[in-house]
Amino acid sequence: MIIEAHDLRKTFTAKRGRGKTEQVEAVRGIDLAVEKGEIFAALGPNGAGKTTTVRMLATFIAPTSGTARVAGYDVVKEAAKVRENIGYVSQAGGVDENSPGLESLMLAARISGMSKKQARARADELLEAFSLTEIANRPAKTLSGGQKRRFALAIGLVTAPPLVFLDEPTTGLDPQNRANLWDEVRALRDQGTSVLLTTHYLDEADALCDRLIIVDHGQIVAQGTPNELKKEVAGDVVTLRLKGVDEARELLAAQPYIKEVRAEDDLLRAYLDDGEHGLPRLLRALEERSLTLDSISLDRATLDDVFLRHTGRSLRDAA
Amino acid sequence: MLRHTSLFLGYELRFLLRNPVWPLFGIIQPVMYLLFFAPLLGSTTQSGSMPEVLAMFTPGSMMMIALFGSLFGGFGLINETRNGVLERLAVSPAWPPAIILGRAAKDMLVLVVQAILVMGIAMIMGLRITLPAFLLMLGLMALTGLFAATLSYGLALALRDENGMSQLVQFFAMPLTLIAGLFLPVSLGPDWLQTLARFNPLYYGVEAGRALFRDDLGDSTIPVAFGLLAVLSLITITWSMRSLRKMAG
Ligand SMILES: Nc1ncnc2c1ncn2[C@@H]1O[C@H](COP(=O)(O)OP(=O)(O)OP(=O)(O)O)[C@@H](O)[C@H]1O
Ligand SMILES: [Mg+2]
Repeated sequence: MIIEAHDLRKTFTAKRGRGKTEQVEAVRGIDLAVEKGEIFAALGPNGAGKTTTVRMLATFIAPTSGTARVAGYDVVKEAAKVRENIGYVSQAGGVDENSPGLESLMLAARISGMSKKQARARADELLEAFSLTEIANRPAKTLSGGQKRRFALAIGLVTAPPLVFLDEPTTGLDPQNRANLWDEVRALRDQGTSVLLTTHYLDEADALCDRLIIVDHGQIVAQGTPNELKKEVAGDVVTLRLKGVDEARELLAAQPYIKEVRAEDDLLRAYLDDGEHGLPRLLRALEERSLTLDSISLDRATLDDVFLRHTGRSLRDAA
Repeated sequence: MLRHTSLFLGYELRFLLRNPVWPLFGIIQPVMYLLFFAPLLGSTTQSGSMPEVLAMFTPGSMMMIALFGSLFGGFGLINETRNGVLERLAVSPAWPPAIILGRAAKDMLVLVVQAILVMGIAMIMGLRITLPAFLLMLGLMALTGLFAATLSYGLALALRDENGMSQLVQFFAMPLTLIAGLFLPVSLGPDWLQTLARFNPLYYGVEAGRALFRDDLGDSTIPVAFGLLAVLSLITITWSMRSLRKMAG
C-alpha cells in the first residue's frame, strides 16, 4: 500500500473581513488505500476538497485530524521521509516564470542529492521524453500553457519517485496535449510508478485510472474501478425530453427491464442494462400512452451518472 | 544544509547574471547622495573637511541601500506563494531554511558588491579608511542586508499580498531611517530623539559604520550592531519558516 489514509479532515479558518473568521470544512473524513503501481484518481467538482486532500498527503498542509501514511511514512511525524519519496505537481504548476525550465529542472535534481553530472543526465532524459529539449533554455514565461505543464511534470518526476501526485494535470490543455499526457501517465505506471491524480473530467478518470474515488463536499461518495462504478448504475442510459414528465416517469419506473428512472427538470433518465433491446420496448410503452417525445438518446452510462446517483446533481453543473 | 543553501544561491545568481543591470540602479541613489548632498554638510562636522564629512555621511547612505535594497526583495516571493513554486519547494527534500537563506545570500552578495563600489567612489572623493574598517563595513552591510531581506521574505510569506506589504514597508521604512540618523548623527538632536533612536536597530548599524570610518574599532556600537543584527536575523528567519509551513492554512 503506497497511500493509506484514515478519516483525514481539514478545517480552514478563513478570514471574512472586519476581523471575522469562518470555518471551512474542506475535507470531512476521507479514507484512502492506494496500491503500489496503481493510477488512482480523485474525481469531483470545484471545491470538493481534492487539492486539500492531495496537499495533506504531500505534506504541504497538516491535517486537522486523521492519519495518513505515504510510501510507508507518516505524513506528519515523518514528513521529511515522505518528501524523499514523492513527486508533486500542484494545480498551479510551480514552474518559475523568470528562469529557463532547464534551470528549475536542474535545481530540483540537485536538491534531491544528485551531482551536477547526474542532474544534467537526468534532465536531458526528461527533456527528451517530454519533447522540451528545444525550449529548455527559454524563460518559462515565454512558454505556452501546455509547454509549462510539461515542464511542471518533468520537474515533478526528476527524482524518479515511486509515487507522484498530479493535481489536475490536464486542466487548460488542448485535446492533443491531453492525450499525450495520458500516455505519459500510463508510461509511468508501466515503469512501476504509482500515480494519484485529481480531475474534474469524467472521461479522464474513466480512460486513465485503475481505481477512483468520487469526492463531493469533502467526502467520498463512491469508490471502485470505473467499470464497477458504472455497473452500479446500469450499463446504458436513455435520456428523454418530453411533455408529461411525471406520467412518463411513473410509467417507465414500472417497466421490468428499466432499473431506475431519474427526473431532472424536463429531462428523464432511464437506466437499463441492455439499451439496444430495451429502447424499442420503452418507445412502445410511451406510444401506448400517447406521450410524445421531443428528443431521445441512448448512451453508455458514464461516471457522471454515478455522480448523479450519489449526489442528486450532475457533475457538469455541480461546481 | 549548506549544500542546499548554496544550490539556491547559485540558482539566484544565475538569474542575476542573466539580468545584471538592475542591481546597478541600486547604487545610483547613494552615489547621488555622496555627490550632491555630502558637500552641503560641511558645517555639521568640526573641521568641515571633505574626508570628515564623508566619514560621517557615507555609512548612512550605505545603510540606506542595505535597508531599501533588501526590504523590497519579498515582493518577488509573493508571486511564488501563488504560482506553486514555493508549494513545490516546500514538499521537496530541500532543507526549508535554505529556500529563504539562498535568496538572502544573493541579496547579501549584491549588497557587498554595491558597498565596494560606493566606498570606492567615496575614497576617490577623499575618504580615507583602513583595510580592517573596510572589511568590517562589508560584514556590517551583509548582516544588515540579511536582516532586511529575511524580514522582507517573512512579511511576504505572512501577508501574501502586494498591497498590504507595500503599505507596511513604507510604514516602517520611513521612521526607521529618520530615527536612525541616517544622514546626520542623532547626537545633533534633542535628548528624546536620542533615546528613541536606541530602540532602532538601524541606529546601531549607522553608528557602528561611523565608528569604523573614524577608525575607532574599539567603539562599543560595533559589537552591539553585529550582535543585534545577528539575533534579529535569526528571529526573522525562524518567523519566515513558520509562515512557510502555514502558507496554505
Ligand atoms: N487556504 C484555504 N483557506 C480557506 N479555505 C480554503 C483554503 N483552501 C481551500 N479552501 C476551501 O476548501 C474547499 C476545498 O478546496 P479545494 O481547493 O481542496 O477544492 P478542489 O476540489 O481542489 O477544487 P478545484 O477543482 O476547484 O481545484 C473549498 O471550499 C475552498 O474554498
Ligand atoms: Mg483543486
